Amino acid sequence: MIRIFIGMLLIFTSAVTFAATGSIPLKPVLIDLNNKASLQRGAQIYVNNCLGCHTLKYQRYVKFIDHLSLSKETIENNLIFTTGKNGEPTKIGSLMLNAVNPDSAKEAFGVMPPDLTLIARSRGTEWLYTFLTSFYKDDTRPLGVNNALYPNVGMPHVLSWMEGLKKPVNLEKDQYQYIIKGTMTDKEYQKSMTDLVNFLAYVSEPAQLDRYRIGFWVILFLAIFSFLAFLLKIEYWKDVK
Amino acid sequence: MSKFMAWIDERLPVSNFVKNHLSQYYAPKNFNFFYYFGALAIFIFILQIVTGIFLTINYKPDAASAFASVEYIMRDVEWGWLIRYLHSTGASFFFVVIYLHMFRAMLYGSYKNPRELLWLFGMLIFVLLMAEAFMGYLLPWGQMSYWGAQVIISLFGAIPYVGESLALWIRGDFVISDATLNRFFAFHVIALPLLLFALIYLHLAALHTNGSNNPDGIEIKKNKDTNGVPLDGIPFHPYYTVKDIFGLSVFLLIFTFVVFFMPELGGYFLEKDNFVPADPLKTPEHIVPVWYFTPFYAILRAIPDKVGGVLAMGAAIFVLFILPWIDRCSVKSIRYRGMSYKVLLMLFVISFFGLGYIGMNPATPVLTWIGRLFTFIYFGFFVALYFTSANEKTKEPPERVTMHD
Repeated sequence: MIRIFIGMLLIFTSAVTFAATGSIPLKPVLIDLNNKASLQRGAQIYVNNCLGCHTLKYQRYVKFIDHLSLSKETIENNLIFTTGKNGEPTKIGSLMLNAVNPDSAKEAFGVMPPDLTLIARSRGTEWLYTFLTSFYKDDTRPLGVNNALYPNVGMPHVLSWMEGLKKPVNLEKDQYQYIIKGTMTDKEYQKSMTDLVNFLAYVSEPAQLDRYRIGFWVILFLAIFSFLAFLLKIEYWKDVK
Repeated sequence: MSKFMAWIDERLPVSNFVKNHLSQYYAPKNFNFFYYFGALAIFIFILQIVTGIFLTINYKPDAASAFASVEYIMRDVEWGWLIRYLHSTGASFFFVVIYLHMFRAMLYGSYKNPRELLWLFGMLIFVLLMAEAFMGYLLPWGQMSYWGAQVIISLFGAIPYVGESLALWIRGDFVISDATLNRFFAFHVIALPLLLFALIYLHLAALHTNGSNNPDGIEIKKNKDTNGVPLDGIPFHPYYTVKDIFGLSVFLLIFTFVVFFMPELGGYFLEKDNFVPADPLKTPEHIVPVWYFTPFYAILRAIPDKVGGVLAMGAAIFVLFILPWIDRCSVKSIRYRGMSYKVLLMLFVISFFGLGYIGMNPATPVLTWIGRLFTFIYFGFFVALYFTSANEKTKEPPERVTMHD
């Protein structure tokens, strides 16, 4: 009976795995939070290109000291661009906010650019990577670009200076032709987007840096403890017939 | 030490209590795998209370700051992420453990005479636990928290005449709002845990009155030695305390693996949409309750009529309460029961899993029809059991318990 039951449980769990579907297939992206250089590059891209509109309102700059191995000076000089009401530089312990006026943002883009702290958890990293590499020229849209994954998105192709601008040859098959060159090759852009998504994956849950490491020791301890508990049980139970 | 204990015992019979409920409390010696889950449920209850206390220290039950306070716990509170994952994973594992615990009772007839009241207390605990989990799920104030609560509370609106005012009364507002969050917080951290504590106490008191059933479904108290000790009984302490320590450590191995390596469990324990703050103006594409509610949710959706669906869902839970009177077979354990019960229970388990799967997915026409089939089997189990159990072809249970593992 027990065996049948466990067997049924296994069949059940394998049957319920299903994937979220978008309009085009999601592209795989390699997330490696141990790659500090990648996280640093991702942070750099983010504060220079994204933070102006998209806050990271649950993340504090100061966390980059431990998590990204950056010095206080590097963060203050290269990652913090905002100031307080009286013009004093934003303190390192602050949350990563910006100065967007919601009313003008709505006027320009139709919506307030969302906070992206948890976007890697709500959308998933593959979705983000695919989104960032799927902008194409579309003159019917107010901003001249569209996105194959998120049709009619309100966001302009902010990173076109890096990627360039492409027009679709076959949207479904992910085939494009560049009509304006950017500062990067295709490969370089993909690598930068991997860094950016990697950074967002970190920001969405900084605890990942700790939990895998600590989890390993917890599991090891419990494995040994279970074994000892098993021996203890055997010892006590040997006279139960 | 003994002098000290004597002093205590004169004023509070601690030693007697330990004797009656641990060192001279005799449990059947043939417990198997399914007998770990009662002790594990108590462990998780305590875990939820303790982690819950730490969470409330930093959580803010306020629609404007609840979501941010959870992220604050996840990022800025020392070990906050661990406390939160223990609590969220604990909630799901609570139901895993409770469902297995209930299944055990169905396998070995633990709800039968003289343990009907024990089963009723257990069922009350189950219902309160569902309420506790449902209200707790609103607190992170994510999209799924919000819309899940919106959908479930609106179900009360289906009740004729009083429905709408009842839903309004529960929410304290016309939609889920700050008022709802505040009262759910109160229920989740004070009212329901207190009730649960009282019911768990009664559940254990009822258990210790007649002692545990066992996989053979026979009463060990029928065969006693000259000292009045059941021949097939062993003292709970140390035998079952050491066994439960082993069970607990294996449980923790699996539990902490989820906590540390997959706390979202692919979106089943923590849903993706719940990482988006609640937005009353934006309905998520696909609202699903957390996995442990999905079998009942699927029954709700299987009935085309809203009132009918709510009634069916309520009936699906209520019918479990009266199981001891539906099952009229005098043999308790599945080991000695007839083929009819084995087949029926198997079908019941399949329909429960099937309904759970269907409840997690969008209602396509095909899934809805399969859901209706499983709903039919779910209720059919109880109907068929009532008619077959009275004249079931059973085997003779043994006089004494048997040891298998």
